[in-house]
Amino acid sequence: MPDELELKLTSTFTFDIESNISLIREILGHSVDLVQRDFIFHQEKQIRGVLFYTDGLIDKEEINKALKTLINCSDEILSSCIGDRMGDELTKNIKTYLLNNVSVNQSNKVQDAIDGILSGDTAIIIDRTEQVIILSSRGADARSIEEPQTEQVVRGPRDGFTENIRTNTALVRRRIRDPQFRVESMKIGKKSKTDVNIAYLKGTVKEGLVEEVKKRLARIEIDAVIDSGYIEELIEDAPFSPFTTVQSTERPDKVASYIFEGRVAIFVDNSPFVLTAPAYFWQFLQASDDYYSRYMSGTFFRLMRYIAFIISLTLPSLYVLLISFHQEMIPTPLALTIASGREVIPFPVLLEALIMEISFELMREAGLRMPKPVGQAVSIVGSLVIGQAAVQAGVVSPFMVIIVALTGIASFAIPNYGASFSIRLIRFPLLIASGTLGLLGFASMFTIIAIHALSLRSFGESYLAPATPFKPSDQKDFLIRMPWWRMDTNAQLAEGEQYRLGEHQVPSPPPKGVDKEGDKGQKPPEKKKSDNENNPPSSKQSLVKIRRKKRKWGKKDET
Amino acid sequence: MRVQISNGMFMAIIINMVYAKAIGITQGSLAREVGNDMWISTIFSTLQGIMMIVFVTYVIKRTPKMDIFEQSELLLGKIFSKIIALFFFIFFLFAFGGVSATFVYHLKDFFLPDAPLVLFIIAAFIMGVYGIFFGLEVIGRMALIGVFSIIALNVLIILGSLSEFRVEELEPIFESGFLSTLWASRHNDTDWLMATMMAAIILPHVGKQESWGKSGIVGIGLGGLFVVLWPILQTGVLTSEVTAQYFVACMQMARSAHIGLFLHRYELIMVAFFAISALIQIMMTFLCASIAVQRLFGLKDYRPVIVPVALILCGGGYCLVFDHQIAMDFLEKTWIYVALSIGFGVPLLLWLIGFLLKKKFKNTNMEASS
Repeated sequence: MPDELELKLTSTFTFDIESNISLIREILGHSVDLVQRDFIFHQEKQIRGVLFYTDGLIDKEEINKALKTLINCSDEILSSCIGDRMGDELTKNIKTYLLNNVSVNQSNKVQDAIDGILSGDTAIIIDRTEQVIILSSRGADARSIEEPQTEQVVRGPRDGFTENIRTNTALVRRRIRDPQFRVESMKIGKKSKTDVNIAYLKGTVKEGLVEEVKKRLARIEIDAVIDSGYIEELIEDAPFSPFTTVQSTERPDKVASYIFEGRVAIFVDNSPFVLTAPAYFWQFLQASDDYYSRYMSGTFFRLMRYIAFIISLTLPSLYVLLISFHQEMIPTPLALTIASGREVIPFPVLLEALIMEISFELMREAGLRMPKPVGQAVSIVGSLVIGQAAVQAGVVSPFMVIIVALTGIASFAIPNYGASFSIRLIRFPLLIASGTLGLLGFASMFTIIAIHALSLRSFGESYLAPATPFKPSDQKDFLIRMPWWRMDTNAQLAEGEQYRLGEHQVPSPPPKGVDKEGDKGQKPPEKKKSDNENNPPSSKQSLVKIRRKKRKWGKKDET
Repeated sequence: MRVQISNGMFMAIIINMVYAKAIGITQGSLAREVGNDMWISTIFSTLQGIMMIVFVTYVIKRTPKMDIFEQSELLLGKIFSKIIALFFFIFFLFAFGGVSATFVYHLKDFFLPDAPLVLFIIAAFIMGVYGIFFGLEVIGRMALIGVFSIIALNVLIILGSLSEFRVEELEPIFESGFLSTLWASRHNDTDWLMATMMAAIILPHVGKQESWGKSGIVGIGLGGLFVVLWPILQTGVLTSEVTAQYFVACMQMARSAHIGLFLHRYELIMVAFFAISALIQIMMTFLCASIAVQRLFGLKDYRPVIVPVALILCGGGYCLVFDHQIAMDFLEKTWIYVALSIGFGVPLLLWLIGFLLKKKFKNTNMEASS
């Protein structure tokens, strides 16, 4: 049966409209949403025509317009090109002179027509011609552009990707009005035939990266792609790692900035998550706000996130190892407080921590899956009521509740859900190792995780860069976010232009003594010519001059 | 194609290769021999280490595309190369004694006294094998983190002990005499020789050939700077008499450090930083021993021998650290004889043979350039 279908799909249309209609019907069956609309084309010659489209995927206005033209204006087509058997002259004429829709194609391949119909296009079949006109009429109902649910910002754009691939590429295109911006298309999924777009900035993208992305996408053999998550798992560098080596985001501004940094974006139809590659571990700890707020607050909140990362990863493990093995390291008053809280607890601290961590994950998962109002109730009942009751019942110590709550809050401070999950996942082996072997277990497991992370690559780039390998020029946007007027060079990954800022971008107040009425902006102080002429520049001044000479706007340093 | 590491990574590996043992166990040995002058002895040995790295770099640079085994094969054939490989294996087998003593005693004696010894050896085995499986590049990146940890550790020890530092404890200088102080530097020389022997193997993997010498000098110089801080503080805070009482002197130093009244004990944090350096020592010892065995048996890759080599090294390490007295005797006598004779002898021998057979280098380099 599949072979028969394959045979039909690879065949071509004939000059007989009846056999063409039956061929489409045989392939697509008699689904209720498959609409067949008959009409008479060219009233003088009385030629039969038929439209095929899928209801719900189309824009009816487009079809109405096309149908009206085909029925009422078809006489304008020269009668000379209408005969018993017509070549592609008629369809060409219709395409060129009759239909005023934006996109019209013609083909004699059955596969093209079927793909078109199933994607929301309309196939126009006219008797006595083997060419089929494929009219672009896509217009399925889609969710409007909304604020991203998983990556919210305080300051910054509020638009997020939708399920429509063209809307998504347009959202990025609005931010990159560079003629070098390219969007290439391919289809993945034998049955789903999902549209996948690869976007990059030619001349800026890392050499060979686009080819590598295309190669990885091209080797995918799968029946259906429902979401970009499928693609992510099929193209990533480390499939057995808890770390994610491809970033997914709902934010068009993030994708645009990554493209400016020389990366590639992968759009998948029906998915509001766009993938970007390569990915570095540290970028998962960076939020869009960092760049939109002033650099001081951006840096402060970024540092907070690094602290959150350390807390989320190590706090329960450190607590367990200190309580179980190295009590002497805890300051005495604190040790006494903890001991008094643990006095009635029947479980060893490792078990207590595991119970609490698993309970927390359960509450989080339940809160996420349940309807919003119920989810909130579950969270409140879970965290407040059960937590309080568990402490009073002597099942867990108050300190452990604090530790687990702090860890949970810290994990939510990590802006990327995937990265947050990775950290939550590796916390468990670290916790078990610390609880069983103390400092030795913690150090061993931490080292193994570190070695694993150090060995990872994302599309040829070291996952832990720019920390290790150390890239000095990228430090401006790593632990801290330098002011925009200091981030004058492009990311090391980006090819082409080295400088992204012009010279003298540091803002300053107007100099004293400038006539305020006539002053339309900041004027540079007038140079004292005599000074430069009479006094030779100092060695430091000369150095500055040499540096500036070397640096040409938008060009790479020759050195 | 060879795996390439940057010059920065090379320097970081050198620093990590010596740091863990040099600040702890070696300083105890120095204090027992020259008392107050242990910091001067450390400076002497650093200078000797610099001279040795310059010499090894010179030897390797004669055939920059070849490591020491390939060069020895070029000079006197395969059998000679295998003998050199055997010497290297013996060197790193003995070196692992000191490395395992550093790792085990730091953790066992001060944090987990009741844990069975074998547990530490198994942990070292697993982490070492896992690390070198990914190769030199990953260890190089890890070493960069290690350098940051070393800096953090040094800052913490300064913060915790500077208030009790008494400069008069350092006096009189050269109390044990100049020659005795110089002679005592052999203890620390063994640490630097681990770095220079390692360099003889990994130098061809280092990126910029023209800065090999500079990187080596800076690596050992910085390493020496990080290390020498400890004997100065140990003398000024603990006194050399107290330092001499301990096998792992740096831990006693770390234990006595405190910041205010609330942070009265934070050696756990310091040891967490220290562990990275100790683990890089373990990994590099495994790696160098594995490469030596690979050359000994003429294998294409070192990975098939990682596990057997690591088992042999760990077996030896276990036997050694079983008893503190045996370990101390080994590190202060046997290891010094082995380290000095192989560490100085092998590069010197190769230089001499190369000097006599200069033509072979010329021909090989001409072939390579053409």
